[in-house]
Amino acid sequence: MRPFAYERATDVRSAVATLSERPDAVYLGGGTNLVDLMRLGVVSPEMLVDVTRVVDATIEESAGGGLLIGAGVRNGDLTADPLVRGRYPVLAQAVLSGASGQIRNMATVGGNLLQRTRCSYFQDTSKPCNKRRPGSGCPAREGDHRNLAILGHSSSCVATHPSDMAVALAALGAVVHVEGRHGPRTVPMPGLHRLPGDEPDRDTVLEPGDLITAVELPELPFATRSRYRKVRDRASFAFAVVSVAAALDVADGVVRDCRIALGGVAPVPWRAELAESALRGAAATAAEFGRAADIELAQARPLRDNGFKVPLARNVLVGVLTDLAEAR
Amino acid sequence: MTDIQVTSPVRDGVGASAPRPDGTLKVTGEFAYASDLWMDGMLHGATLRSPHPRARILSVDLTGALKLPGVEAVLTHEDVPGAKLYGVDHADQPVLAIDQVRYQGEPIAVVAADHPETARRACALIRVVYEVLEPLTDPRRAALDPSYEKVHAGGNVVRHQPIRVGSVFEADVVVTGEYEVGMQDQAFLGPESGLAVPAEDGGVDLYVATQWLHVDQDQIAPCLGLPPEKVRLTLAGVGGAFGAREDLSMQIHACLLALHTGKPVRIVYGREESFFGHVHRHPALMRYEHGATRDGRLVYVKGEIILDGGAYASSTPAVVGNAASLGVGPYSVPNISLDAYGVYTNNPPCGAMRGFGAVQACFGYESQLDRLAEACGLDPVEVRIRNAISEGSRIATGQIVDMPAPLTSMLEQVRDLPLPEGVSTDLRDLPGGVANSTHGEGIVRGVGYGIGIKNICYSEGFDDFSTARVRLEVIGEEAAVLVHTAAAEVGQGLVTLKAQIARTELGVPNVTIAPADTQVGSAGSSSASRQSYVTGGAVKTACEAVRERLLELAAKKLSHDGLALSGGKIVSVSGIVVASVAEVLGDDVIEETREYRHRATAPMDQLTGQGDAHTQFAFCVHRAVVDVDVELGLVKVVELAAVQDVGKILNPIALEGQIHGGTAQGLGLALMEEIQVAGGLIRNPSFTDYLIPTILDMPPMRLEILENPDPHAPYGLRGAGEPPTLSSTPAIVAAVRAATGKSLMRIPVRPEHITGT
Ligand SMILES: Cc1cc2nc3c(=O)[nH]c(=O)nc-3n(C[C@H](O)[C@H](O)[C@H](O)COP(=O)(O)OP(=O)(O)OC[C@H]3O[C@@H](n4cnc5c(N)ncnc54)[C@H](O)[C@@H]3O)c2cc1C
Ligand code: SF4
Repeated sequence: MRPFAYERATDVRSAVATLSERPDAVYLGGGTNLVDLMRLGVVSPEMLVDVTRVVDATIEESAGGGLLIGAGVRNGDLTADPLVRGRYPVLAQAVLSGASGQIRNMATVGGNLLQRTRCSYFQDTSKPCNKRRPGSGCPAREGDHRNLAILGHSSSCVATHPSDMAVALAALGAVVHVEGRHGPRTVPMPGLHRLPGDEPDRDTVLEPGDLITAVELPELPFATRSRYRKVRDRASFAFAVVSVAAALDVADGVVRDCRIALGGVAPVPWRAELAESALRGAAATAAEFGRAADIELAQARPLRDNGFKVPLARNVLVGVLTDLAEAR
Repeated sequence: MTDIQVTSPVRDGVGASAPRPDGTLKVTGEFAYASDLWMDGMLHGATLRSPHPRARILSVDLTGALKLPGVEAVLTHEDVPGAKLYGVDHADQPVLAIDQVRYQGEPIAVVAADHPETARRACALIRVVYEVLEPLTDPRRAALDPSYEKVHAGGNVVRHQPIRVGSVFEADVVVTGEYEVGMQDQAFLGPESGLAVPAEDGGVDLYVATQWLHVDQDQIAPCLGLPPEKVRLTLAGVGGAFGAREDLSMQIHACLLALHTGKPVRIVYGREESFFGHVHRHPALMRYEHGATRDGRLVYVKGEIILDGGAYASSTPAVVGNAASLGVGPYSVPNISLDAYGVYTNNPPCGAMRGFGAVQACFGYESQLDRLAEACGLDPVEVRIRNAISEGSRIATGQIVDMPAPLTSMLEQVRDLPLPEGVSTDLRDLPGGVANSTHGEGIVRGVGYGIGIKNICYSEGFDDFSTARVRLEVIGEEAAVLVHTAAAEVGQGLVTLKAQIARTELGVPNVTIAPADTQVGSAGSSSASRQSYVTGGAVKTACEAVRERLLELAAKKLSHDGLALSGGKIVSVSGIVVASVAEVLGDDVIEETREYRHRATAPMDQLTGQGDAHTQFAFCVHRAVVDVDVELGLVKVVELAAVQDVGKILNPIALEGQIHGGTAQGLGLALMEEIQVAGGLIRNPSFTDYLIPTILDMPPMRLEILENPDPHAPYGLRGAGEPPTLSSTPAIVAAVRAATGKSLMRIPVRPEHITGT
């Protein structure tokens, strides 16, 4: 690990100012991803600016009727929050399904959104990787990619975004509050994370120095009927192989509205817009859910060893929607 | 050897759940592991490893590393004063790579510096120029294709062991299958660590976490160019082993650096490095053909087992011996044609892991027995009962099982245990756990069985012994026993057991276990489920010798004949207490050292595999009950029931721990544990990505433990640590097959194998 300086930020503006001046500085949240990557040599910042004391760590009702979640809220507190559990169960469930109790107690909302891919070549500095070293190549494409993307990947990168929380946020259409060099602004989700294209080293649309200060959930009454479902290789403490976040608004057996996002299948939390529009106005039946899933997954371009994710994603999606349709 | 019936009521003797001295310390985090070793002024070592599985080394430039302030030594193969190669069975592994590397992670240079980080940075400054070569990663070609390139000049086959019995290879019912076992890791928690301290006599003292001090010493000394007595080892706190510490890791490197710098040097691997720093379980490719009569009685077995040993031999020859000799399982088979191969490739080196060759075979033959049951329309338990060996039967090597082998009743017993009822509604009890993947709908239950046979102790003619020194004296007016062996406590509870044996044999409650080191004779390895048997036997024998001398001394001092030791007292023939042990001893000290050998074994015939290769056989039967979400491919093991015959229960709670742990490791292999290797590269060297079962994956167990004594073994005991690891895997996979109807030819079973895509 390279030597680095550590600074505890005193306020948001000075933290942003520091990072804007020093390209070798990064923000430190709970450190559960960043420090691991530093130990592996994947990133080697010269300065860590600890923002856990300056970004908000509270969850409040927002002016727009939704919730404003401070970027410093610990993942563990987020899953336990009664407002979140009551109004957006999909989010509480998604966060709860990630990592372990100890890690969730350290991890922050801001850090969770910006955690890096679990692609094994990305984590192994002795190997090429376009995300880590642009232009060096993508060994995953022909190598080990069982758990990588089937959607949205490019010839330069086939990684998946590992966050469970981000999948729920993408489904709910959250808005990310950012403090940047030129002041505050908002970035909608989906939209924070970007597809790799030919610039796989840029995971998000954020600019250097941008600090995530909060995540805002829009008012979405039918999100009380929402759910997160995750398939993983063991019963706890493992990243998603495939996951689905969904909220469903059904009346008289017809889908009035829905929000669906897929995890574990794409370089970004994948909002299933095609499936959503196929479902609006459709009968809330397993057959229609299957049809919508097929429409969404028709875009899938699986790699040699991850084709199983296509039917698996279909099964998870149909299962969640059927559950939600039956739930009262 | 006569067994004196000891009726002493001594507390915490053999048979009691004596508490383990390390238990509380480990749970509270206070136990000193090898990675906690510390000496003022010590240096820290780090290892430069090859990123390539196969490459020629064109040049190594140390300049940058040597210039870094704080660096005190940077060594390569040129600095190895003695033998350049070492190995646990066969010296084929370079201490530091010479002109080529054969696996990813192979050590090339070692550095000692004032801080671990300085040492790591120095490694990064070493410039190695490689000519990267295409790695040889196909074990089948390595075994069978003579035109395949060679990993070592001598050829790719480390050992080929055939079994040839009988000549009838036709039958009414024939079932075949091709099976594959992925690469499992021992996944111990305490990474490889040790501290080497240079000594005034030009030698070195090494404190290290290992499984067998003397075999380490035997390998280290020649490489250092030192006589063995100048390389002294002491066991440091071991954080799990499971076979992964049978081979050397940092031992020679730390000693080299210590001798070179004249300062103590500690090396502690990180978690990621640990995955490259030890051998793994051999992945296996297996083909089986079982022929039987219509009523399910085996006529013949044909088989081929290819074990990928990776870049160096490690213990591959012995693993092949087990896979071959136990390759048809605990069944009477009149005709056998089986070939087991262990091969070199450029994959990660593989060697010892709990179950040692018998695990892979057990998945193959048990899967076959289920196929046979189906083909004959029989219940899986019934088909096993029809073919199971019993006392007096011959196994595949022609060896007669001359100890209890109550397989039929064990199978009946496990089958007749009540089955768990109903599907729970608690998410934690459902497939997928708290990930909310199911609420009980669409779940299919399956039940499966597995039975295994494991050899206990070293086999095939190996001179397998242990040494114990037992000292009896009066300390503070009280009789006290000191037991000294070189046997490695790796978490199995041996320290506790040695004290239990001494208490029982000498009736003295106050027993101290000396640290294990090379100042006493070899104890052999803490593997092959052998330490209770062999070191237990040595401690028992040494105690008996001490007891004999104590009674002689008593007879002399008390001028009394026909004395005996009972309840820690010297008693007369009529049972009257004549004196205490302390009174008899006075200032005298009785010390006896004994070697204990189990009965001799013989090599297997090279062409037919026949021979009395094994000392003892141990058996465990599992029944697995699983719930499967067939749409999502998720498995919840609902219950595991096991029946194991251990001959004699020495420490009930420690024994149950062994059976639980072995079963859990088998569950891991069945459902999730695999080192993923692509093109010779390990893709998941962390506990974030190498998954081992959590408490949510491991169900409650139902245990039935039998005590049919083996007349050849001390106390009649049977080694217990490995057998449960064999049978839990096939039982779980059989249960998943029963639930899904899928053939599941490869383990670990993953969601995609169940969803069928
Ligand atoms: C063993 C293990 C298992 C895991 N399993 C899962 C899982 O199953 N599902 C899952 O979703 N996640 C999982 N995780 C990942 C975990 O959720 C993330 O590590 C965690 O959420 C990151 O949060 P943090 O606050 O610790 O971020 P850090 O590690 O502190 O930071 C991560 C990144 O975010 C940046 N950053 C932090 N805060 C801000 C901010 N306010 N504004 C801008 N940038 C910021 C940092 O500079 C860094 O680049 C696992 C992690 C581990 C170690
Ligand atoms: S998939 Fe992306 S992260 Fe993985 S190796 Fe390729 S470029 Fe790197």
